[in-house]
Amino acid sequence: MTPFQTPVTAQDLPAVRIDVKNLNFFYGDSRALKNISMQLGTNQVTAFIGPSGCGKSTLLRVLNRMYDLYPGQRAEGEVLLDGKNILAPGVDLNLLRSRVGMVFQKPTPFPMSIYDNIAFGIRLYENLPRSEMDGRVEEALKGAALWGEVKDKLTASGQSLSGGQQQRLCIARTVAIKPEVILFDEPCSALDPISTSKIEELIDELRENYTITIVTHNMQQAARVSQKTAFMYLGELIEFDDTDKIFTSPREQRTQDYITGRFG
Amino acid sequence: MTDHTVKAYDLELQDLARRISEMGGIAESMLGRAVQALVKGDTRLAEEVIATDARLDVMEREVNDKAILMIARRQPMAVDLRFIASTIKMAADIERIGDLAKNIGKRVKAIGMPFHHQSLVNGVTHLGDMAQERLRMVLDAYAQKNLDAALEVWKHDDDIDALHNSLFRELLTYMMEDPRNITFCTHLLFCAKNIERVGDHCTNISEIMHYMLTGEPLVQVRPRAGAVIGDDPAAGGRED
Repeated sequence: MTPFQTPVTAQDLPAVRIDVKNLNFFYGDSRALKNISMQLGTNQVTAFIGPSGCGKSTLLRVLNRMYDLYPGQRAEGEVLLDGKNILAPGVDLNLLRSRVGMVFQKPTPFPMSIYDNIAFGIRLYENLPRSEMDGRVEEALKGAALWGEVKDKLTASGQSLSGGQQQRLCIARTVAIKPEVILFDEPCSALDPISTSKIEELIDELRENYTITIVTHNMQQAARVSQKTAFMYLGELIEFDDTDKIFTSPREQRTQDYITGRFG
Repeated sequence: MTDHTVKAYDLELQDLARRISEMGGIAESMLGRAVQALVKGDTRLAEEVIATDARLDVMEREVNDKAILMIARRQPMAVDLRFIASTIKMAADIERIGDLAKNIGKRVKAIGMPFHHQSLVNGVTHLGDMAQERLRMVLDAYAQKNLDAALEVWKHDDDIDALHNSLFRELLTYMMEDPRNITFCTHLLFCAKNIERVGDHCTNISEIMHYMLTGEPLVQVRPRAGAVIGDDPAAGGRED
């Protein structure tokens, strides 16, 4: 079966940051992604939606080769980041992950101070004098809209923060390394509506400087934060189009059934 | 189309569709009775039509309330979202048709007598029949989600306009013939205009259906019967 794929040409996008070409992914013998081809534009938010097990998180994990941590998982095809294939052997994974940051479903602050949560990541890649480090930490916390809430308690444990604050701390940690792409894997699923709004506002602000992808089970969230939406099902990319189009009049019946709650 | 996982959602959508059909049925019957009252000079029937309008107003409000509540509760997407938004707009069009029938009823009371000119009776009756037929067709098309049938209504509004134009000319002739006809003929002009406006609301509903079923607005230019005489929004269309 050939999946329906809306052709997205370079004219549609400000600039292609990530170009996925005929991507297949395997967990051992099981094929989790089937011939995915899509382009992610710079300064755009691309949302991945689809039922559990459709491959959207898998696709996200390919984009920074997170899967490499596990034996028996492999990807075939090409993922070009600024024209260079990140799936090629010999790619520096640490460098790749500094360029493609990731924020997970559950906030994962390190068991250390708020300050060190941010500085820890920076120290992995750069050797900065204390004064410069202070500036970078402040910049990152401001970028994640958390500075005002934590500036007087930078030495407090990152784990003492609320869930929403912890998630923004993780975003700050990601932003601090100055990546080009940020991958969000259901960043709000454990948060209350107010924290969710703050993260969504933040994603919209981050869009100015980064290429963003977000996996979400919340359809309204995808409609709110993204410019492009990809609907995936059983490892296939069923439809990829402007978010406005997907949520008002999708072309594919399966997309329609899923977003209107007529599935299964 | 397959059902929603949440059964109550389907029931709510069906309920909205049923309400639109019911409103349409009431508007259709109001229009029929208004034209009948006009040609027979039946002021009691006219009173009935006027009284029925309040019911249509209430039903429109109920449709809007239900639709707004569904948007809040279900956060509809794609085809459901288009359906609900379209329902709100259609209810407004049907409510307007009720107003137009009511306006005719008011004029019947003002005229207070039956017609004497058989050709005028025929003309108005024919115009009323055509508008009623269009309304019935577009409502059937809605009930069956039949886009082609809705587009038929949309394409053929020009013959209502043409008939309205010829009626307009005929009335002018009577007025020129004998100034004592002017009051009566003017009332009749407004009534004819009201009926003609019903046709316009039917084409609106066709256009709404096009968006509802396809997701695309209907952007083609509709066939027209030349310039419509007296096509002034102040005349008939907007009076209440």
